[in-house]
Amino acid sequence: MYGWIWRHLPGPLPVRVFEALLLISGVVALLLFVVFPWIEPRLPFNQVTTG
Amino acid sequence: MSSNPPPGQRPVPRYQRDPGQPPTPPPGTPIPQGPPPARPQGPPPVGRPPGPPPRQNPPRPPQPVRAPQPDDPPTQPIPRVRATPPPPPPRPARPRPDDLPTQHIPRVVDEETAEVEQPPEDVIAAAEADEPPAKASEDPPKETGRVVVRSIGELLITAGLVVLLFVFYEVYVTDWLSAGKQSDATVALDDRWKGQEDPQRKTQFQVGDGEGFAKIRIPKFGSDYVYTVLEGTTDKILEVGPGHYKNTAFPGQPGNFAVAGHRVGKGAPFNDLDLLDPCDAIVVETSDSWFVYRMLPKSSQVKDWDKTKAADPKCQRVGTLRTNAADGGGYGKTVGQEIVLPSQSAVIAAVPNRPDAQVPAGQQASLITLTTCHPRFSARQRLIVHGVLTHQYKKDSAKPGELPAELQES
Repeated sequence: MYGWIWRHLPGPLPVRVFEALLLISGVVALLLFVVFPWIEPRLPFNQVTTG
Repeated sequence: MSSNPPPGQRPVPRYQRDPGQPPTPPPGTPIPQGPPPARPQGPPPVGRPPGPPPRQNPPRPPQPVRAPQPDDPPTQPIPRVRATPPPPPPRPARPRPDDLPTQHIPRVVDEETAEVEQPPEDVIAAAEADEPPAKASEDPPKETGRVVVRSIGELLITAGLVVLLFVFYEVYVTDWLSAGKQSDATVALDDRWKGQEDPQRKTQFQVGDGEGFAKIRIPKFGSDYVYTVLEGTTDKILEVGPGHYKNTAFPGQPGNFAVAGHRVGKGAPFNDLDLLDPCDAIVVETSDSWFVYRMLPKSSQVKDWDKTKAADPKCQRVGTLRTNAADGGGYGKTVGQEIVLPSQSAVIAAVPNRPDAQVPAGQQASLITLTTCHPRFSARQRLIVHGVLTHQYKKDSAKPGELPAELQES
């Protein structure tokens, strides 16, 4: 999977590294700011109220 | 193709390792048997020391020249190259002198470093173009199996990283996000208090959902511990700061001023709630007053409270709230700290744990109740802290910065 992505990144090595970092940070941002906030209230970690 | 040799024979890579299978080599590569030249090179490990630097290698080329046979030299250099760990020296040397041998050798080296599976004939093509397509087209069955296994492994590792990232999010990122919202709420509250010069509007506590109306400070948690308390206890409100249970008393009023707060992430205002001890101060600031609550004795201390802790100056006004009745009266089930099930909403009743208690409003104590999750990272239980109002100060508009002495405690 990752090898396939790496091989399909265009450009020379430095450009590829940059693109890979860009992809990673994009995925991380998507998780942190979209997926996790959405999923978090559905998980039983942090309910603090009674009743 | 070449990768799927006749039944008796192994795929190309093994052939390459094993010089005993000459027939397998793909048509393009002339790899006949040429033992004689190989032997001269067999000693090389011994012979190399004299000529470790590549420049001394040029003398060697004459050796291949000795074996003038057109195709022999290339084949055997290959196995040798593998057997001998240090290939670098041969590389530079061979290409320069002779044409045929030199060309074959680099191929072998490429195969070693890249993929052993590739038959020699395709090495050149593979080197020029992308390797994967070449592989896939060559031996699909083996390659797809490998790809599947590798992909599953990668997915599992990815899942683990995502879980770790979630923990990071839960513990740190939500803190950062909530810190901004909390400071916004505090600024809004300060603005409202500043604009509220009219002395007639005192302690009205008409607040909308999500609106800040008080600040809570716990000196034991540090002088910088201050949170704006908002009205309501929905998830969205609790992201901003501690939330006041609707329909419970407001600060200073008889009854139970109940507040919920997160223990992990989202600012974690009540992270250390379990560290509070009886008589520790919980100070609530409203637009015109300071209310000092102190934690009630824990259940184990109730019995001997008057003999032990009552002497502590901090505990002067902290009683057990018990009466002489057998069950301790209306507040017989009220203690400083308790751990309850999430369903026990009676802990925030005006008379904690006695929602049906018939205590006249005039005789009700002014309590504070803080609730958070317990244990950390779990919603299994709730940690509850109860306190009782001991002091109350009116804010003096002449001294806006004045703080009650209780905030100096630690």
